Amino acid sequence: MVMAKIQVENLSFSYHDQKILNGVSFTVEQGEIFCIFGPNGCGKTTMLDCILGLNKPDEGKVFIDGADALTLSPAQKAQRIAYVSQKSDRTFPYTVLEIVLMGRTAYSGLFSSPGKEDIDIAEQALNSVGMYKFKDRIFTKLSGGEAQLIKIARAIAQKARLIIFDEPTSHLDFRHELNVIKYIAQIIKDQGISVIMATHFLNHAYFFEDCGLPTRVALMENGAFGAVGFPADVLNQENMAKIFRVWTKKFSDSNGDRVLNYLVPVDFCTGGEWQ
Amino acid sequence: MLNKSYTKFVALACLVLPIMLILLSLFVGRYDLKIIDILSILIEREKWISDPERAIEYALVFDIRLPRALLAFVVGGALSICGGALQGMFRNPLVDSGMLGVSAGAGFGACLGIVFFHHSFMIYTLSFCFGILAVLLSFLTGKIYDSAPTVTLVLGGVIISSIFSALISFLKFVADPMEKLPTITFWLMGSLSRANFEDMTVALIPITIGVTGIMLVRWRVNVLSLGEREANTLGVNTGLCRVIIIICTSIATAGAVCVSGTIGWIGLIIPHIVRMLVGNDNRILLPVCLSVGGCFLLIVDLIARSIVSTEIPLGVLTALVGGPFFIVILKRTKGGGSW
Repeated sequence: MVMAKIQVENLSFSYHDQKILNGVSFTVEQGEIFCIFGPNGCGKTTMLDCILGLNKPDEGKVFIDGADALTLSPAQKAQRIAYVSQKSDRTFPYTVLEIVLMGRTAYSGLFSSPGKEDIDIAEQALNSVGMYKFKDRIFTKLSGGEAQLIKIARAIAQKARLIIFDEPTSHLDFRHELNVIKYIAQIIKDQGISVIMATHFLNHAYFFEDCGLPTRVALMENGAFGAVGFPADVLNQENMAKIFRVWTKKFSDSNGDRVLNYLVPVDFCTGGEWQ
Repeated sequence: MLNKSYTKFVALACLVLPIMLILLSLFVGRYDLKIIDILSILIEREKWISDPERAIEYALVFDIRLPRALLAFVVGGALSICGGALQGMFRNPLVDSGMLGVSAGAGFGACLGIVFFHHSFMIYTLSFCFGILAVLLSFLTGKIYDSAPTVTLVLGGVIISSIFSALISFLKFVADPMEKLPTITFWLMGSLSRANFEDMTVALIPITIGVTGIMLVRWRVNVLSLGEREANTLGVNTGLCRVIIIICTSIATAGAVCVSGTIGWIGLIIPHIVRMLVGNDNRILLPVCLSVGGCFLLIVDLIARSIVSTEIPLGVLTALVGGPFFIVILKRTKGGGSW
């Protein structure tokens, strides 16, 4: 039997008596991308934090490569899961290479620093997202799109087989958004890693599917999954109306041999049509 | 990241400069000693020890100037590296080595020692113990409030510091104004005038332990400075690392403060100056802080004991010399590499 990359079982989490996650279960396979959509405040980030071990769930378990996540040390966990956040916190003006090198922390002991080999890995990772020439630039002075690519490079240097993205494109312009999404698709394709991605851009799921990647989507609502499945089955008028209360229309077009699907919002639901 | 030749230059400077300054400080002082005599003391030690008429000169160089120079270097270095490590860990450029209440606590301990015992060993011991106690209290205070640990710890440090400052004021108020009060005041302004080899040993043990610990985890300081979430997902046991850094900086700072008194400003400003010179990577930053901070206090102490006939308190001079120095560096580097 092939083990799922990550298996989440019946995850529940409350914050000050308020239930935020309510029995979420799913699995992600090797080389698969799992997109999570949902309104703001539906519990996406809380769930990702539970998987990353930043939140301790009240109930439920997370298995990474078959091992209970609670039994793994922070370093062991970081060797298996990398995390790319929406935006970095303010920090000291490190250089880009120093930032990427921090992805190697999980491989150095408590009292040691990354060595020559780690620098090579970090430089390769920068190269793989086309950012090698930025290696001596100051990270905090980069644009949002450049900074996201550096963080993706850091996740690659971390050599984890699962990367979790939390709204990786939410601050980016049109061109940088595509750039980030393309690199995510490319590393899944080239390195066979798995991805869990929370995003507000529904069409990202179609983009990955159109690239030929195994893609599944989950729609999240009030701390639970309202629908899980392939993009075409989940991202339809009915679900969009139910969860976002937005009336949408789906379009298809083709560009050479590539089929393009996309979902366009039309108007708010007034109540009648889909109740 | 720095290029290789610049890194080599910095490493060399960090080794050579302190040695040169320590040698230089043997030649500087109010007591008039001829340069040629000092050279001869250094080279022909035996001749000077055996001659009772020249014993004073020998003692002056080896028992007063040398330990004082070494102590200045060690204390300055320790305060700077602790300040740098805490700034990184708290992700806060305004933090210094006394942040968690060490300085205020150690100050109170020393005042107690001065008022009740007036014996230097008791002053050191009480000062060191109260320094550590203050950090412990700050840590526990920080635990009460449930927020980002770095914020609550700083808050805890501020609260505990102000309590100990109040206690110091109270001791000053009740202390004998003719005999004890001047000692307390002078101690609180910082001084190395009492330095001897015993002080050196007292300070050196905790400082060596603390500084070694900080040097070992200095890569982790880099990662911690990205913030709790990122550090955790990059594989750092953030709680353990923070505790190690707090313990090491507290031991080292308490060790420094108990022999030298409260010398402010160094732990805050030296890390910033070094950031402008070598960048933010704590692997390089922290060892360079050790050397630059040590050299800085050495120079300040040289000035303190030689420009006027009475000694100027170090705490006063560090700010007077450090302030303009910082501005010059800021102007020359245009703040490059700083926060």
